Amino acid sequence: MSRPLTVSRVLVGTFLAGLTSTLVLQASDAAPGVPTTQAQAQEIFTKQVKPFLETYCSDCHGEKKSKGEFTYRYAIKYAGSPAFRQLWNHAAASVKAEDMPPEKEKKKPTAVERTMFSDWVAGMKYLSPKDPGQFVIRRLSKIEYGNTLRDLFGVDPRAAAILPDEVFGAGYSNSLSPLLMEQYLLVANSVLDQVFAKAGQPPTAVEQRIFTARPGNGVDERAAAQKIANDLARRAYRRPVSAAELQVLLSAFDLGKKHGRDFRESVRLVVKAVLVSPQFIFITPVSDDEPKPGVVALDDHQLAARLSYFLWATMPDAELMALADQGRLRDPTVLAAQTRRLLSDTRSRALFDGFGAQWLGIDKLAGKTFDPDKFPEMTPSLRQSMYDEARLLFDSIVREDRSVRTFVEADYTFADAKLGALFYGMKIDGEGMQRVKLTNANRGGILTMPGVLATTSFPNRTSPVNRGVWVLEHVLGEHVPPAPANVPALEKQDQSKVATLTLRQRTELHRTDPVCNNCHKILDPIGFGLENFDAIGRWRERDESGGAVDASGELPGKQRFSTPQELKRIIVARLDDLCHNLTGRMLAYALCRQLEGYDEIVVDGLVSNIAKDGHRMQNLVVAVVTSYPFMNRRIGDLPGAGNEKNDNKK
Amino acid sequence: MRKTTTKNSWLIDRRTCLKGLGAALALPLLESMGWAETPAKGAAAWKPPVRLGFMYMPHGVIMDRFWPKDAEAFRGAPLPPIIASLAPVRDRCLMVKGISGIPIAPFNGGPHALELSTWLTATLPDADRRASIHIGISADQIAANYVGGMTALPSLELATMPQTHKENQEGLNENYYSHCSYRSPTQPVPAEVNPGAVFRRLFQGRDQGPAKNADAQNLSTDAALDRSLLDLVLGGAKDLRGRLGRADQQKIDEYLDGVRALERRIASIERRQRDGDQAGDARRRDGDSPLIEVAIPDGDVKGRSPEASQFVRRSGDGETEIKRSEYMQVMCDLTVLAFQADITRVSTYIGSTPNGASYPELGFSDQHHSQTHYGTDQVKIDKVAKINTLNVEQFAYMVQKMANLKEGAGTLLDNSIMMWGSGLENGDKHERNNLPFVIAGKGGGTVNTGRFITNVKGNQGDLLGTLLTAAGIPLDRPIGIGTKVITEMLVG
Repeated sequence: MSRPLTVSRVLVGTFLAGLTSTLVLQASDAAPGVPTTQAQAQEIFTKQVKPFLETYCSDCHGEKKSKGEFTYRYAIKYAGSPAFRQLWNHAAASVKAEDMPPEKEKKKPTAVERTMFSDWVAGMKYLSPKDPGQFVIRRLSKIEYGNTLRDLFGVDPRAAAILPDEVFGAGYSNSLSPLLMEQYLLVANSVLDQVFAKAGQPPTAVEQRIFTARPGNGVDERAAAQKIANDLARRAYRRPVSAAELQVLLSAFDLGKKHGRDFRESVRLVVKAVLVSPQFIFITPVSDDEPKPGVVALDDHQLAARLSYFLWATMPDAELMALADQGRLRDPTVLAAQTRRLLSDTRSRALFDGFGAQWLGIDKLAGKTFDPDKFPEMTPSLRQSMYDEARLLFDSIVREDRSVRTFVEADYTFADAKLGALFYGMKIDGEGMQRVKLTNANRGGILTMPGVLATTSFPNRTSPVNRGVWVLEHVLGEHVPPAPANVPALEKQDQSKVATLTLRQRTELHRTDPVCNNCHKILDPIGFGLENFDAIGRWRERDESGGAVDASGELPGKQRFSTPQELKRIIVARLDDLCHNLTGRMLAYALCRQLEGYDEIVVDGLVSNIAKDGHRMQNLVVAVVTSYPFMNRRIGDLPGAGNEKNDNKK
Repeated sequence: MRKTTTKNSWLIDRRTCLKGLGAALALPLLESMGWAETPAKGAAAWKPPVRLGFMYMPHGVIMDRFWPKDAEAFRGAPLPPIIASLAPVRDRCLMVKGISGIPIAPFNGGPHALELSTWLTATLPDADRRASIHIGISADQIAANYVGGMTALPSLELATMPQTHKENQEGLNENYYSHCSYRSPTQPVPAEVNPGAVFRRLFQGRDQGPAKNADAQNLSTDAALDRSLLDLVLGGAKDLRGRLGRADQQKIDEYLDGVRALERRIASIERRQRDGDQAGDARRRDGDSPLIEVAIPDGDVKGRSPEASQFVRRSGDGETEIKRSEYMQVMCDLTVLAFQADITRVSTYIGSTPNGASYPELGFSDQHHSQTHYGTDQVKIDKVAKINTLNVEQFAYMVQKMANLKEGAGTLLDNSIMMWGSGLENGDKHERNNLPFVIAGKGGGTVNTGRFITNVKGNQGDLLGTLLTAAGIPLDRPIGIGTKVITEMLVG
């Protein structure tokens, strides 16, 4: 999730871009600028980019050479393919930073040519063919699997606890190993033990629900078993069951009978067969035909499952299934209404646990190390409350359909007695977390939320740099390149000289180096603007050195601020960037893959629609759900997508 | 490579073996080929199998505290501080300097996403499909494909950190951060982090290793039913596969592979239950040491993030964190036990993943990675050296335990090849010219131990190919970037 939208390998801060764009335009009036249509991108590519590469790059990176293991030989054939996006970004970054062509080369591009090239790369998404992305059938994640068992059999979702923990969302590994298969069988056995009462005991409620038919009154055992199998598999497979699939389940019943098991025990085998079938473990399409390569719409049941696992991390409920059965779910009005219905249900908490917590980085809080002598307050229970504060804010913005800007400038939060006393100077009565109105405008919103502030700290002190990076990456969706290896840490500074300096003054020392200053002139002011909050997020007037905190700063474009409140105002002015970032990340989460190529055009389109109606959160989610890549899937490769290279290799 | 395989001409052809592994009836087939899982007690010709184990630590080492000064210093002088704990078994260890890692361009910004994932693959991810997993089959899984059919578990994968780190380097799939084993180029193999779950897996849910004969009959019928049931489901899955696109079919293939492995495992359990020999006693000879006892702490790995990899023990009235070293040792014990009982012959153990564990017992709470960009900072260098030392100590604990277990004419360690290592030379500059690692064990007499070879020219792929060759695994192609067997490491 950390960077679903590859904007660029270099920090193309909009702060910076906003400041310099006029200058750039004046200096490069011959450069065509960032292309905004496919035709334009194609034309610039043919008329300018190709000759540029031929002139300046081909000797080392062209058809025959790949110096530094870098060649554009394949990329140039499929310039718009998402597969080569990283390569072009890398090239643009090197050319822009004047790393390439190397110093010793005689032929060097002019500033205008360099700008032309990096502008073209910035706009090359318009070369991408319309593509919903390949959608490979997906295994349920551990969380989804547990929740699905809960919904099917009323068992505790922790039945799935023995499965290995895994990354989920955009970086999720859709693979299955023998270990997992073994564990699926173990889980199936434990679920069956809970569902089926021991011999001599009365049947459990779930068991009674499963037995939708009984033999007798002219119904033979096999016919009853068939009805039971069909009713269960339809729910468990989240779609109608084919005749062949039903046959497999009936064979399981026959197997039991053959081994002398009674009706009930044989049905138990049917349930077990359902639980270890790929149709349960994976979300599979309903089609009976062998699919042809190309783009197809998700069938109604697949769409229901995708929607339900996205927002609830569990199987579709009866209402969604009924709409899918009626073939109505693809109707945009119905789909939007269902999205809103799912969001208002408490199960949508899964959207925060699965997505929101990763977006904010607050999923790391529970396991983060804090110096126990300095911060004895950071107990597991306090951390849980800090997490819940973020969760409840997120939920309130979703359920109350508030503007995305609320994430930055909320004038309320959620706190229990501990949080109230420690962070907000409030006495909170009653049990648990409560919604509280904030009067201090330096608080409120994710930038100044204790959980977030603590997540970005070192174990023993704040890190203004990490906080700056967090705001740029997590809030505004920019990519900050890692510091070059071997950068000396603050602790390395001559202690006798810095002993009396505040952390801010010490941090500023490194900005005398122009290499560092390039990025840090943006990162650091943001971090300093939050220095009034200590490493776990408490308000303070003085930092560890005892010096007064100076939370003022200036961002490129002469945007000055002197308090966290004013910093928030500057950040929220970039609402479109926040919205773009959130939409992109959420789409990547919903699709369980990173975004590339055409997806970026999709996100641009969604964001402009969301902006038209006040950046409301539910609109944002609806936009993701009704988007082209969410509702469609590609089977096989698109012709000319650039993957031929790999296929030839095999 | 070919040359070394002909040496072991008694091995069956790999293709035959792989074909056999796919079928539920593989075991009788293997028996007919002389691969009896349970040899007659005291059969003279029988030699204990070779076990292959890999243990990982991220971020490289403080080089001048790891490598001995020269070959002589390795034999006689006190060992450098990081590897001092290996002194008692130094005659059964082999150190080799000069093994380079795979160059990571074009992923120069992703050293940590790649240090672990390239460690046993010696292969770079496919740059054009970097957002999903496309790398190479790893050395341990190549071995498991070959010998895995002989044991209840083809291979064992352990870790002491959950594999859930999320950080995007160079657009690479996040699972590259935390997985070293790849069953196929697209299938990372997850590792288990809970010792209790590992133990139950080794001994199939029973508190005591050997099954009680009383319920063996029932269990056996259940197992037979399970196997038939899986056969049915397998047939249905094949049918489903025919109706899916090519990429989807690959997913179903992973499923089919998993079900077949499961069937084979059930068959093996069935047979052991039938023989009343769940702990593999029949395979141990009279002079062999009894199975070690492992104290499994009851509890769980706490926290939602991988860095919270402390194991929390539950006891009567509360929860206590156990030391990281203690947690790591339980996993070492389980590896030894699995090898000793011949439940598996191949293991990987990710001591920690590159996002970095912390080691409060060393007197500081910093995460490993946060200290590794040390430059010339002596405080950080000392901390990293301490972390390195603690990691090698756990490896030393494991191999010494193996050295004390009699098996056949020698010890379990004599019949094993255990490698401890890192995928980076040092964490400060992310160099990969001289990967740090130690080999322990004689591989049944193939590994030339007790030496420090100071100037080998080879790469990570060569090293892995050499170890597999020593373990008797025939290779039909090099591993990753490998080109040769490093004969200096082998006997004769």
